[in-house]
Amino acid sequence: MTRKVAIVGIGYTGCRPLTAEVSYKELVYEAAVKAYEDAGLDPRRDVDSFVTVAEDFIEGTSIFDEYTPDQLGGMLKPNVTIPGEGIHGLATAYLQIASGLVDVVVVEAHSKASNVLTLPHITAYAMDPVYNRPLQANPIFIAGMEMNRYMWATGATQEQCAQVVVKNKRCALYNPTAAYGANLEIDDVLAAEMVAYPLGRQEISPHADGAVVLVLAAGEVAESLTDLPIWIRGIGWCNDAPSLETRGWGRAIYAEGAGKMAYQMAGIRNPMEEIDFAELDDTYAYKELQHLEALGFCQFGEAGILTAEGVTEPGGALPVNVSGGNLGCGHLLDAAGLRAVVEVVLQLRGEAGSHQLPDVETGLAFGWRGLPSTSGAVVILSN
Amino acid sequence: MAILEKVDKLHQAIAWQGDIPITNRYTAGVAGERFLREIKDHARILGTRCPDCDLVYVPAALFCERCFAQLDEWLEVSSQGRVFTFTVLFRDLEDRPLDPPAVLAYVKLNGSNGGLVHYLGEVEPDQVFIGLEVEAVFKEASEREGSILDIRYFRPLKR
Repeated sequence: MTRKVAIVGIGYTGCRPLTAEVSYKELVYEAAVKAYEDAGLDPRRDVDSFVTVAEDFIEGTSIFDEYTPDQLGGMLKPNVTIPGEGIHGLATAYLQIASGLVDVVVVEAHSKASNVLTLPHITAYAMDPVYNRPLQANPIFIAGMEMNRYMWATGATQEQCAQVVVKNKRCALYNPTAAYGANLEIDDVLAAEMVAYPLGRQEISPHADGAVVLVLAAGEVAESLTDLPIWIRGIGWCNDAPSLETRGWGRAIYAEGAGKMAYQMAGIRNPMEEIDFAELDDTYAYKELQHLEALGFCQFGEAGILTAEGVTEPGGALPVNVSGGNLGCGHLLDAAGLRAVVEVVLQLRGEAGSHQLPDVETGLAFGWRGLPSTSGAVVILSN
Repeated sequence: MAILEKVDKLHQAIAWQGDIPITNRYTAGVAGERFLREIKDHARILGTRCPDCDLVYVPAALFCERCFAQLDEWLEVSSQGRVFTFTVLFRDLEDRPLDPPAVLAYVKLNGSNGGLVHYLGEVEPDQVFIGLEVEAVFKEASEREGSILDIRYFRPLKR
């Protein structure tokens, strides 16, 4: 018998292109202080366990799990660090509570992207060393090849992909924590410099610095802490074939698998009817379309058409990335998925301010691990 | 950040820059050894077949990622195939402009369910399309050293 688990506290620094005045520890500390204030908890007294999501090469520190407890108030307590998407960390925290092991768990992920000086090299070092890395190509080529195959397989157009950028950057103008809001037209997006045909500069989410800390609690504890617990109804994760030579290319198979797992747990049969809004990974504009289809909001090949029709606009039937997404907020590396979770929590609490959606009860957040991975994780939340 | 003492001039913010040399060996393995040696010695591309899944893996693999069976059925596949997808890359690894831009493709090789990711050569970027028939161009035998770079690039099949 698994226990119910809720998110009872959120701490988020917001996204900024530069955070020259704070170290990564101080950035996380700010998010942690906000999360504990929000939850009404003292981490030294009330939190049982801590989960950090971080990747050594991005941190620039090997054995990074030695550097995680203090900024969370977690010293002398159970800590674990996992490399993965932020929502993989959320799943880890969820399982610790659902299993009955502990009652209150904190999950953290952050980005100090402005300190990462050679990110294309780090991403290239993630490619197969024998068959792919000797090509010494900027790994953004994988996104260009995937977008090309996706458009070929679905009939999605460059204009439809550009519409995702226009929508998300415009949404970001209404989100004070977003770094890259802009009022663009489709032609502005299409006129931008080509990076990896057919992928243009405006369709690539720019990186940002920021940290996210979430506090999770078991059902009865959550209800004692807050009148607005946000319940985890479903959670799932999946990997496609990892190699470039055997993966799906056109379809986001990892998202299909993650969605299947989470929908089964939540008892959701028709995502479009049962989910009110979604925050979906849009690291590259076409990824939002791929993920819409993979998560069952429409058939394969329909996402571009729905986007052009405005279905995913804030006033549409399924608002997608009303926060601005990674394109509008800025990409927080491994914390991108947890930033999406923060937005879903704010919306479900009715605390999203100038970009609050009316009457929302259930939202979904999906994170993708980024190039060159075929790894993703999803969570479904209800108020 | 409001919770911290204010640093209001960028040049006042102290930062330390560090780097380390990282060098690794990557053993090609049982399947990779035979696959790369065949390219080096004979300019031929080998795959392994999973009889249960009816899949031919290129690059050759020791086990089937679908059913997890160990694979021992080796066969030669064609060094010709079709562009499954491609891109024209305008940035190098330092994120500097690439001039001229490079064309990269995933080439599905005939007689297999896999293929190779590689550069395309002897073709203008605007002449490339999904489905284009291409062939591997190998280096001279004396230059080959058992690497994926023993293939210079793939080029459009001449008819």
